[in-house]
Amino acid sequence: MKHPHNPSRRQFLKLSAATGTSLIIGMMLPGCNTPPDPIAIATAVTTNTIEPTETAGPTATPTPLAKFEPNIFLKIDESGQITFTAFRSEMGQGIRTALAMIAAEELDANWDDLIVTQAPADPAFGDQHTGGSASISGSYSLVRRAGATARLMLIQAASQIWDVAPDGLITEPSVVVNPTTDERLAYGDLVAIATDLPLPENVTLKETKNFRIMGQGKGVCDGEAMLDGTAVYGMDVRLPDMQFAAIARPPRNYGSLDNFDDSAARTIPGVLDVVEVAAGIAVVAQNTWAAFEGKKALDITWNAEKGSTTTTKEMRDLIVEQATPSTTQEDRFDAIYEMPYEAHATMEPMNCTADVRAESCEIWAPTQNPQAIIGRARTLTGLTGENITIYTTLMGGGFGRRLEVDFADEAIELSITVGKPIQVVWTRADDMRHDYYHPMSANYVSASLDENGMPTSRPRVRPYQGAGVRTGYWRAVGSVPEAFSIESATDELAVANDVDAFDLHKDLLPESVHSLLDLAREKSNWGEPLPEGWGRGMAYHNTWGVTPVVQVAEVSVDGNEFHVERVVCVLDCGTVINPDSVAAQMEGGIVFGLTAALKNGITLENGAVQESNFHDYPLLQIHEMPVVEVFTIDSDDSPSGVGEMGVPPIAPAVANAIFAATGQRLRQMPFRLTTA
Amino acid sequence: MTIYTLNINQTEYEIEVPSNMPLLWALRDILGLTGTKYSCGIGLCGTCTIHVDGIAKQACQVTVSEMENQPITTIEGLVANTLREAWLTEKVSQCGYCQPGQIMAAAALLTSTNNPTDDDINTALADHLCRCGTYQRIRKAIHQTAASGGIV
Repeated sequence: MKHPHNPSRRQFLKLSAATGTSLIIGMMLPGCNTPPDPIAIATAVTTNTIEPTETAGPTATPTPLAKFEPNIFLKIDESGQITFTAFRSEMGQGIRTALAMIAAEELDANWDDLIVTQAPADPAFGDQHTGGSASISGSYSLVRRAGATARLMLIQAASQIWDVAPDGLITEPSVVVNPTTDERLAYGDLVAIATDLPLPENVTLKETKNFRIMGQGKGVCDGEAMLDGTAVYGMDVRLPDMQFAAIARPPRNYGSLDNFDDSAARTIPGVLDVVEVAAGIAVVAQNTWAAFEGKKALDITWNAEKGSTTTTKEMRDLIVEQATPSTTQEDRFDAIYEMPYEAHATMEPMNCTADVRAESCEIWAPTQNPQAIIGRARTLTGLTGENITIYTTLMGGGFGRRLEVDFADEAIELSITVGKPIQVVWTRADDMRHDYYHPMSANYVSASLDENGMPTSRPRVRPYQGAGVRTGYWRAVGSVPEAFSIESATDELAVANDVDAFDLHKDLLPESVHSLLDLAREKSNWGEPLPEGWGRGMAYHNTWGVTPVVQVAEVSVDGNEFHVERVVCVLDCGTVINPDSVAAQMEGGIVFGLTAALKNGITLENGAVQESNFHDYPLLQIHEMPVVEVFTIDSDDSPSGVGEMGVPPIAPAVANAIFAATGQRLRQMPFRLTTA
Repeated sequence: MTIYTLNINQTEYEIEVPSNMPLLWALRDILGLTGTKYSCGIGLCGTCTIHVDGIAKQACQVTVSEMENQPITTIEGLVANTLREAWLTEKVSQCGYCQPGQIMAAAALLTSTNNPTDDDINTALADHLCRCGTYQRIRKAIHQTAASGGIV
């Protein structure tokens, strides 16, 4: 494919469908040798905004594109059915729905005519890694223009049929209308002609006031399949002749194997084979349970010397010591706020299915990072890219865990070894003990004080992170301890100076977020009386500078027990694509953050994670769910991310509310009241 | 290995498996009924909830031999249109992985209790975990189903 130099044509390409009966608009991403493009820049920002202080991460960098290739497809067939191909991964954040809404809006499609398919992994789609809450912000403009281009071509097709100028024609959902004659032609009836039209040079995007789909609450497009058992997650993939495997892994981080006896494992009914693999010892079986039972029956001696020796308590003492300032100063506020290691604990444990043949490699992966798996498959199989196909399945939660590729490596390696399609399934204990953890941290916060003891600027934070365990991306990453630290410290300073927390925030934060603060103050009934034993606390965080969020928590305290009763969450995410999804992401972020604030962290003894399941790493339960009320600022600005932004403010909002109720300042997660 | 007869969603299946195989794995790996999900494997999360004679049970906690000739309903066979409609109206699902188990638990609750209180919901769904945090919407969807005539 030649590289078109006309900038207005650069991003779009009309593709002929194989049957000639569909109008397909492909959107193009420029190659690495082309001038900077807004989309490419957005992609680069996506990559960079993910926690720079983390050591582990996705092994893939965006693959350079040597030529224009389609990034996304909008297809309309002659029956009028519209197919949108989602190019980012769905893990519950509603991205398949939201991207389709944007395209359908500009296409002026009847929402019910739309189906959403999932793109396979292919660098042609641009960067497909789903992280950094940037899928919408990075592709909003591109997807809008794709929809608008298709709509204009359908109008042009109708103008040919009616022999009128296209300018006078309008669209209604999935129909082109001539308002003069009241003639109407359905989109499907225009496909054959539209397919032969040249791509328009310029398209006009809808004005906000004409939006019919964006801004309306839509349920997730997979909603019905999720409720009748037909939705296919990674673990639901079933292939002819498929075998199942479970892997025994070294208990200690970075540990290794000495030797093992598999004679008992091989007697378990259904066990087919036991093989040593890079990750440990794999038991291959006819079904998952036999693989699990076979794994339990392995008699393994792990190497006593190699591996991490980290113990959480010692690591905590070390980083707190590192974080402790050597001096104190009258005109400086100092404090240390702590957070333990945390696991992702996705409801669907890690798994992957691979079918590696002599000439082909197919992989079904619940992954946030499908292109990274292509790279791994290339390395492990020796096959070239065109012989490798990655199918991204639905995911039972991601939260950053599925940016990693360890689970795919195992399936590829085992399918090569066994010569069959194979599904590797992690037990819950495997998942809990072999995560890429959110790092334990001691966060030193300081603020310069004026002669009256008031902070001269927002408190600053310096994190000291624990080592000895593999770490990775965890929903909102470093923003979680950052917000806990800065916003707890800000509250401490407000209390010390006897000023209102909202007032102090307005003093310290730019005017651009003052209306957000005002709305949060109003919606949360700030300052109004609460029942005896209750407290109210607020916190603000602007994750990666893209989406400012204020949360106000109300907490009731009874002895050493406390309950988060209500959370008011106010955010400015620009144009709201799907309000239900935005609210859901805030609710979900609050639950994720509350789980870290209220439940247990991950602990290590001699390099081995101690927690194994939901009894010792519990998740928030339904009776602990606060009432969550979400409000967005009215805005026509481009949409900004929401997937992670609900997490950071909740811990400090709750800590500050607990202080208001009890006078106890909690500087350590998880929160525990020590006296009545 | 023994041959067992299972009555699932009003269909009889004969399967040859070890007697102590949890029903969960017979459903998922032997019968291909993958709507019942695996998550914790030890009865803590509710993700694999099914009905045995209308009572909610966790499929990882009952064996195939115990379940022989018992009327089993899985998410694939559950008739609960009003409940599913309420779930869609409230836009409950995020990742959706735990929702079959949540729906099975909610259906059992609404069958035994026409108009459940918040406490009833807390008790019946206490061990049904959702990492996405859909609890507020689950509660609303159950109340909505009860208010609009119950489970049909």
